Amino acid sequence: MSLAELAIKKALSKGATEAEIYVQRRKTVQVEFAEEIESFKTIESLGMALMVALGKKIAMYSTSVLDEDEVSEAAERAVKIARVSKEDPHWRHVNRKFGRASAEGYYDEKLKDLEYEEIIETLTSVVKWMKDYDRRVVPTRGILSISTSKILIANSYGDECERKETNIAVWVRAKAEEADMKGTGTEHQESRFWKGINFQDLALRTAEKAVKFLRAKPMPGGKLPVIIRNQVFADILGVILSGPINADWVQKGRSPLSNKLGSQIALDNVTIFDDGTMGGGWRTRPFDDEGHPTQRTAIIEKGILKSYLYDTYTALKEGLESTGNAFRRRYWMPPQPSPSNLILKPRRASPEEMIRETRKGIYIEGTIGEWLSNPVSGNINATVTHGYLVENGEIKKPVKGVIISGNFYELLKGGIEIIGEDLRNSGGNYSPTVKIAELTIAGK
Amino acid sequence: MSQEIRSELRKLVERGIESGASYADARYQCHDYELITVENKILKSYSSRRLSGVGIRIIMNGALGYASTSDLTRTGLERALNNAIKIARSMKIEKGGLCESRVNKSDVKLSVKMDPFEVSPEEKVSITMDANKAAWISDEIKSAITRLGLSKDFRYFISSEGAELSVKTYLIGLGHESVAKVNGVMERVPYSESMCAGFEFIKSKDWNSFASDISELAIKAAGSKTPPPGTYTVVVDPRVVGLLLHEAFGHASEGDLVSSGESVLHGKLGKQVASELVTIIDEGTVEGGYFYPFDDEGVKKERTVVVKDGILKGYLHDRKSALQFEVEPTGNGRAQDFENQPIVRQTNYYMQPRDYEFEELIEDIEFGIYVRGKGATGGQVEVGMGTFTFGVGPSKIIRKGELVETVRGVVISGMILETLKTIDAVGKDLRMRTSVFGGCGKMGQTVPVGFGGPHIRVLKMTVGGR
Repeated sequence: MSLAELAIKKALSKGATEAEIYVQRRKTVQVEFAEEIESFKTIESLGMALMVALGKKIAMYSTSVLDEDEVSEAAERAVKIARVSKEDPHWRHVNRKFGRASAEGYYDEKLKDLEYEEIIETLTSVVKWMKDYDRRVVPTRGILSISTSKILIANSYGDECERKETNIAVWVRAKAEEADMKGTGTEHQESRFWKGINFQDLALRTAEKAVKFLRAKPMPGGKLPVIIRNQVFADILGVILSGPINADWVQKGRSPLSNKLGSQIALDNVTIFDDGTMGGGWRTRPFDDEGHPTQRTAIIEKGILKSYLYDTYTALKEGLESTGNAFRRRYWMPPQPSPSNLILKPRRASPEEMIRETRKGIYIEGTIGEWLSNPVSGNINATVTHGYLVENGEIKKPVKGVIISGNFYELLKGGIEIIGEDLRNSGGNYSPTVKIAELTIAGK
Repeated sequence: MSQEIRSELRKLVERGIESGASYADARYQCHDYELITVENKILKSYSSRRLSGVGIRIIMNGALGYASTSDLTRTGLERALNNAIKIARSMKIEKGGLCESRVNKSDVKLSVKMDPFEVSPEEKVSITMDANKAAWISDEIKSAITRLGLSKDFRYFISSEGAELSVKTYLIGLGHESVAKVNGVMERVPYSESMCAGFEFIKSKDWNSFASDISELAIKAAGSKTPPPGTYTVVVDPRVVGLLLHEAFGHASEGDLVSSGESVLHGKLGKQVASELVTIIDEGTVEGGYFYPFDDEGVKKERTVVVKDGILKGYLHDRKSALQFEVEPTGNGRAQDFENQPIVRQTNYYMQPRDYEFEELIEDIEFGIYVRGKGATGGQVEVGMGTFTFGVGPSKIIRKGELVETVRGVVISGMILETLKTIDAVGKDLRMRTSVFGGCGKMGQTVPVGFGGPHIRVLKMTVGGR
């Protein structure tokens, strides 16, 4: 008998009416570097989370110790906690619809077998590309992380499924110094494949930014048109929308998008969807963390709010079917609805055209603090670390240290003037470059 | 912890040395954690978990290899040791040097009256539920989430140099978040209080009024305006002072970020980096902070003076950065858990109080803002340039020396070295905080930290908002 079967059997014998188990085995290789490799490590992590129901009383216990004794104890503890839990009137049952969507591109054999030497050589090249770009550039920090995971989900109804997935993420920062001036550059890329990362592009963009921003300064405040680079807007999209489109937020009244299904909340140039099956997507997989098949779900279609994202619990609460969006952020966390690949559908304009058509504005390449934006009110706040003043259709001097602010929900209704063609991801958030008609800029 | 694991780890360290390593250490950790979440009067989850495993660090031919595993069988441990050796061998660079350090042997336990893991699940749920119910003070409250967090952390360290230490600590707290909607405006106010203590801390406080106060603040904030963007004289409360110091200055004082050159404090030792009223300390055990007597490299964490009267006196170090700087380690080598290597981290970082009363700080301000931390959503910093941005909590306008209306959506930003130089008054009221609901993140590792300070006055602060 497998440990999963043992845990489920034990839970049922202790009085559970249902049980669901999630078992994860993951190997991560993580390398940190600056001008040289700073650290290199491997992590082998085992863990399981057991969820039990006693009627409508639910509990979970998880442990990293995967042996028979601990698994039995886990089942006992989970049942014990369930006994003291209050009934959740909305509880129906654990996911009972198992299956695989036709999703491709979430596992890379090459990543699994990558030799440590090849990783070191690649990163050595990244450092060299940056230094060769300009003698003033110094790589200050980088992180490469590769993980290979195996996930098994089973329940007391006899359903079971298993998947393997790989991820690679790389993040680099460099600085450039000259006399009293200092500029920094940061770039990142995330993919399912070794080949999905363009290390050279990453290195050169980082170096270029650091050099260009040697002379960056704040600028006077005001209200101006703003062009936001794809990856930066992808981050904003994720920060603002992930919560409000989560069915759990909607049902609890926390979402500003509650009661707005079917209504026009954006101009018809805006289409946003979630797609757990997108080929090679950062969070693509055939089934979610409850074993439910993934799918493509329209969230905003031509400006109309179409759907929220559900896991089994939130879906059954409304008598609906899960959209396959159950995620466990870590194996020990209970599943929650969360976007898989959240995508703002691209249109036709290129960033160059947007700049050309701007008389006066800012082009934003990098921000910090965008995650301070408030998803409930929709208020966007971010400090621009890498921006350019745009004048008469041309990129002019670099700008840093100004705060942009605006309201996302107002932007949807007309503020997003142009949506670009250059779709790119920041983790699971995908966006093209966009031009915003006007944002408030707090400067010097 | 079983004697069996102690002896397995001792053997592992010996085997590392036999394989040609010049240094080896092993860290075992067992972390128990419970999180009870009540949302809108429903017990949403009671999660309870145990995480245990071992991290092995070896230095071979000057190169460092690290591997960890939660597979504590003999095979699992040996595979981890072999991974660490394989890594050290593929690295062609000598990067693994550690400075000399006193060899410590000690077993330390935080003394508590009631072990929170011995308290019945019923009692813990009922305290959390009652606080949540108390938050529903009017129809304007749209959502309320209450969390009770309990953590017990046991760490054991053994090295080939002969160090052998164990530290056991507890961290517990209650957090609450209310969302209010007033005239179509929604506002979210999160806040929490935590302490390194036993369950007696939870029993000693009235959490119902804690939660209803947060609701009141959320309603007040939702009904208020955002401040007009601009640069103001501000008075900053201890929580924001702590946050600002920790994020915008503390990280920049971490030795690894200084030696890589990405810190704004690089090359500033002995120079004035703040107003002469400013003294900044990092200390392992401070009332109200996190309990941290030894670091994860076996070094004792004592009191480190980072800034004295505005002058930068020193940086924070682990054994690696101390070697580079040719100084004593300061006990700041911390790891999130066994999966991670120790890196330079702050422990309890704070500004020393001076002599001002709160009233004296605000009385001369014609127009300014009293920046408050309760309800703050966090911050971010670019250590290279020293720029910071923080979303702080609902704050107050100061007009003609008086606190007047509340403002919401306040975001402060600036360049830390400029900001610290415009501090012209420091209060006398030191307050420290720590949290069981997260902590400080750096390079993918989150560790609990303490931070704080007194109230201070800053002459120039950029304030955004809408």
